[in-house]
Amino acid sequence: MTTALLPTAAGLWYRDVISCLWATLAENIARAGGAPLDVLGLHWEFRFRPGDVRSEEFYFAGAHPDDVARSIAPYHGISSRWHRAADDDPLAELAGLTGRGMLPVAAVDNFHLPFRPAYGDVHAAHLIVVHDVDPAAGTVTVSDAMPPAFSGVIDAAAFRRSWESANPSDEQDAFFSDSRIDRRYLTVTVDELPPLDRGLLKRALAADGERFAEGDERGPAGDWTGLPGLRRFLDDLREGAAAGEPGALRDAYPFGWGMQAQAGLHGELLRRLGVEHDVPELREAGRRVEAVAHAWTGVRLCAAHGHPDPRAALRELHGHAARLEEAYHRGVAAVHDAWRAL
Amino acid sequence: MDGDRVTASAIERPAGGGGETALHAVKRFLPVRLDKHWNNRAVSAVGETGAGRFNVWRNSFPAEHLPAPGGELVVGDVPYRFPQTTADGDNIRCAGQYLPLPEGRYDWIHLLASGERRVESELALHFADGEVDFEAVRVSDFWAAPARFGEREAARTPVMHYPHHVQQGVAAVLWSQRVPVTRIATLHGVRLPRHIALHVLALTLESVGPAAPDGDR
Repeated sequence: MTTALLPTAAGLWYRDVISCLWATLAENIARAGGAPLDVLGLHWEFRFRPGDVRSEEFYFAGAHPDDVARSIAPYHGISSRWHRAADDDPLAELAGLTGRGMLPVAAVDNFHLPFRPAYGDVHAAHLIVVHDVDPAAGTVTVSDAMPPAFSGVIDAAAFRRSWESANPSDEQDAFFSDSRIDRRYLTVTVDELPPLDRGLLKRALAADGERFAEGDERGPAGDWTGLPGLRRFLDDLREGAAAGEPGALRDAYPFGWGMQAQAGLHGELLRRLGVEHDVPELREAGRRVEAVAHAWTGVRLCAAHGHPDPRAALRELHGHAARLEEAYHRGVAAVHDAWRAL
Repeated sequence: MDGDRVTASAIERPAGGGGETALHAVKRFLPVRLDKHWNNRAVSAVGETGAGRFNVWRNSFPAEHLPAPGGELVVGDVPYRFPQTTADGDNIRCAGQYLPLPEGRYDWIHLLASGERRVESELALHFADGEVDFEAVRVSDFWAAPARFGEREAARTPVMHYPHHVQQGVAAVLWSQRVPVTRIATLHGVRLPRHIALHVLALTLESVGPAAPDGDR
């Protein structure tokens, strides 16, 4: 049982650019004594996996398909693995983990969670942290940093409805419904958390540059990566919209969330470290990378509002795609300047 | 167009000879009517939360926690005319609209605005002599977010309106942001960006000049 360490809702780590995936990883990092921004903000890349986007708030295609935590934070000893609880007494699996001091991350359908704004209204695939299971009381203790933040006890039956939901297609949410939850949960292990010194920072910035220079179609999944992969993604998005393909724009919203979160955190971290190390180039690089996150707003929201009629959205989409590509190029160049200045 | 609102303030600036002289200047504010450009509904009353359309989820700002429609909202020292809802809505969802402005020399364009997530884009400032300058406009997220771009918070509500209910604990935030007019020339109009995530609820022009009515501006 770990409820003695249960953070208050106000104490949960959160940023307005992140999704529940980053929030739940952050809670595991904080529990291990780490600083979430230092761990989650050190890595930056562009990676799109064609045909892979799922309608879930926590969708992310990482370089390590079976380990999303390692994909997001490759410089730290953090790892994760997805599981599906057994049909028979599934809460026992979570109880076993929390009993060992772990913080499993449960996939849930917001429709069934009393503390979510979508309760009883909208189906959407979301993540929360499980702190404790009390079979005798019939309760589960959970936390959720996404507004309105929650930390406390909920009825086990409500948790199970949410955790076992089919998350059916919901016309009110075309982006995060229609993806079965099926008692999925993520286990996160946090081992070594090396100090974020100048050497590690410089190594991470060098790797940023190498990854963005990569060609597309990397790895066994044929990921589109780096600046060439970004161009290919944007070309594909524009061509699909121009052709009026149904669904051409819909995936850009859930996919872009991960890219937006990653850029937003990387930028914030570089700015902060630019202050700590008194390196102006690092602060400027941070701001350039944050501009990438902000440019994702245009692409994501144009796609979200425009997906029912892609051709009608094309005029605005062209502008956002050009701005996003320019932001990435300027961000990569600024990171290179910061690397040289370190 | 509404009448000028004039507020006085004192500034200091270096004078010749290395000394400093206190000079009096005035800030002149000119709220500009935007209602004929309304194309979106950002604010809803508690009895009609389903009317809101601020974001893709149809969330909206709760009218009960905002200034009265048509009333004045002063943020810092900037007066805005708070929007009055019409059949077309209560704000401009930016789609490249061109807004003719009362011609004059201005130093700042103040926007009462909010974003469906953080927005960085640009305005096209058109001048009477045919010149056009593009200036950055930056507006933070309306969804329980902090000011990311150094804006002033114009309103932060204790609840958010959802289509079918009032949500406690999720703030809706309005921002007061400014865009500089760097060219010393007569401003003629402004084009908003094609950016569906940016909403403008009010616009006020500001000029700063000497207290004397016939100054050099």
